[in-house]
Amino acid sequence: MRIFCIISSIIFLTAASCYAGPAGGGPDLSPYDRHIMYQALVLFWIGVIGLITIIIIKLREVKRIQEMGLHKDESDAPSLD
Amino acid sequence: MKLDHSLLTRRTFLNTLFGGWLIAVLSGSVYAFLKFIFPTVGKEPDFVVLNKADFFDIPANTVKIFPWGGKPGFFLKKDDGTQIALKGVCTHMECNISYVPGVKKFYCACHKGWFDDNGRNIEGPPPKPLEMFDIVVAGQKLVIAKKGVQVDLPKA
Amino acid sequence: MISRRLEEWITERYDTEALRRVLRAKKVPSHPLEASYFTGGLTLFLFIFQFITGMALSLYYVPHSEYAYKSISDIMTKLNMGWFFRSLHHWGAQLAIASLFIHFFTNMLLKSYRKPRELVWVTGFIMIAVLYFFGLSGYFLIWDQRAFTAIRVATGGAGSLPFIGGAIKVFLRGGIDVTQETLTRFYAFHVSILPMISLLIVGLHVLLVQVHGMSVPLSLKDREGKPQPFFPNVFYKDLIIWLSATGILVTLAVIVPVELGVKADPMAPAPENIKPEWYFLFLFQTLKFFPGQIGLFNGETIAITIISLAILFAIFIPFLDRRSSAGKPSPAYTYIGVFYLLYFVVMTIIGFFY
Repeated sequence: MRIFCIISSIIFLTAASCYAGPAGGGPDLSPYDRHIMYQALVLFWIGVIGLITIIIIKLREVKRIQEMGLHKDESDAPSLD
Repeated sequence: MKLDHSLLTRRTFLNTLFGGWLIAVLSGSVYAFLKFIFPTVGKEPDFVVLNKADFFDIPANTVKIFPWGGKPGFFLKKDDGTQIALKGVCTHMECNISYVPGVKKFYCACHKGWFDDNGRNIEGPPPKPLEMFDIVVAGQKLVIAKKGVQVDLPKA
Repeated sequence: MISRRLEEWITERYDTEALRRVLRAKKVPSHPLEASYFTGGLTLFLFIFQFITGMALSLYYVPHSEYAYKSISDIMTKLNMGWFFRSLHHWGAQLAIASLFIHFFTNMLLKSYRKPRELVWVTGFIMIAVLYFFGLSGYFLIWDQRAFTAIRVATGGAGSLPFIGGAIKVFLRGGIDVTQETLTRFYAFHVSILPMISLLIVGLHVLLVQVHGMSVPLSLKDREGKPQPFFPNVFYKDLIIWLSATGILVTLAVIVPVELGVKADPMAPAPENIKPEWYFLFLFQTLKFFPGQIGLFNGETIAITIISLAILFAIFIPFLDRRSSAGKPSPAYTYIGVFYLLYFVVMTIIGFFY
């Protein structure tokens, strides 16, 4: 899992570094610059959609657990401290 | 080899996946943000080109200031005719210095530091001598360069 | 683990149990229209996003008529990703105001303003005025020809208000005409005065929402399901909405980057087809519908008076809609709400195309 974090960080740092560099947001852009921007945008969307997917998975998991009624047990359980 | 039980709980897996992905996306965004708010730092020039006539004809024991990036450069013609060029910025806290012809020394008013007419720090808090420049004459032009910089002037 | 030690450090010094209990107890009603609950959070998120991009841009912008335009041009060309952050700020403003209107009309039609939530409505209405002024002042800071003319018209229009118009015009302009003083004033509003005011009012607004809880529409009272806990269920849904909004915002900022017009020249004639920002269009279209002179009164004054009355009516709707406050269905006010919405949408569209 730690390796996963490292690899994803590397991917996104490379994506972010593609943003750097001069750009006028206008007719000054070369096709190369434009391609880099679009690539960065695609990587950004992968990140956002991935994050949304993970949140949906977590939401379903939370609903599943709540429907089981486990949390009610926890509040009644005597504490061991 | 099939395992009877998973090595991870669902909770650990999901939380690590979420946390890791979140850190990756946030670090990319924060990196972009930091690149924007940290400005590209201005560089000092490697050398400046001046008119020889403006500087060589100044009276002895006087200083003429030339721009070195945003800072003052000092061109000093001593009593015996020798000329030196240095950066007019105190090595203590980067205040601008001045030349005092009466005692032939450079003075920094901020903390009362003194440099001799070769740029060496002789009194007060400045920890090191002033930065000296090389003087190169190219025809009608006077080139003041950082020490050790190879100056290649285009044929004008 | 570090997080465990951090938690211990805090609990050894502060009693977090009370806060945790409050957070765990926060519940959100569940019913077919619960999606309406996300509009406020989205507006707040986009608003905070504007604060962040705005603060970053304010590190480089120069609020002087000589240098304003050039500082923006430098941001767009000389800084790392400057064009992107400026684009984000521009599009963020459009999305924040659009989200604000969705939030406003949703709550007007669902009648969440009814008793006991009158103050939530009033503070929210103040925020509309604040956000409008944010948009107007921010737009002026560009100091291009379009912005300059737009502010002349807007402050001139404010001058047509009966009795107080003249004073408002001079206050906004910092003088008789639109000059450097106007720029200084609008910059002060945009980066200092309005943020302070909005911190207070938004803080109050959100606090009141926490105190009252979320309002359930009258017609859905018997179709309510089991309330869901805010943490983590609704919070995750909030996050998904905010992430999607960020995605849309970034895409717009990259694919439709904002342009910079020509530098403002106070002597030049107004450009062709000049239009204010879209959220002002419905106001200006209304002005255009009133001819120059009606009887004794200036047509513009009448139009502005009518608009002001309509706005005042909307502010005081919670106090005027007695039936809703009593918990009874109030179809008259539903029609009024629909009228406001249609008027806004239709006038904006007309203003856009004519």
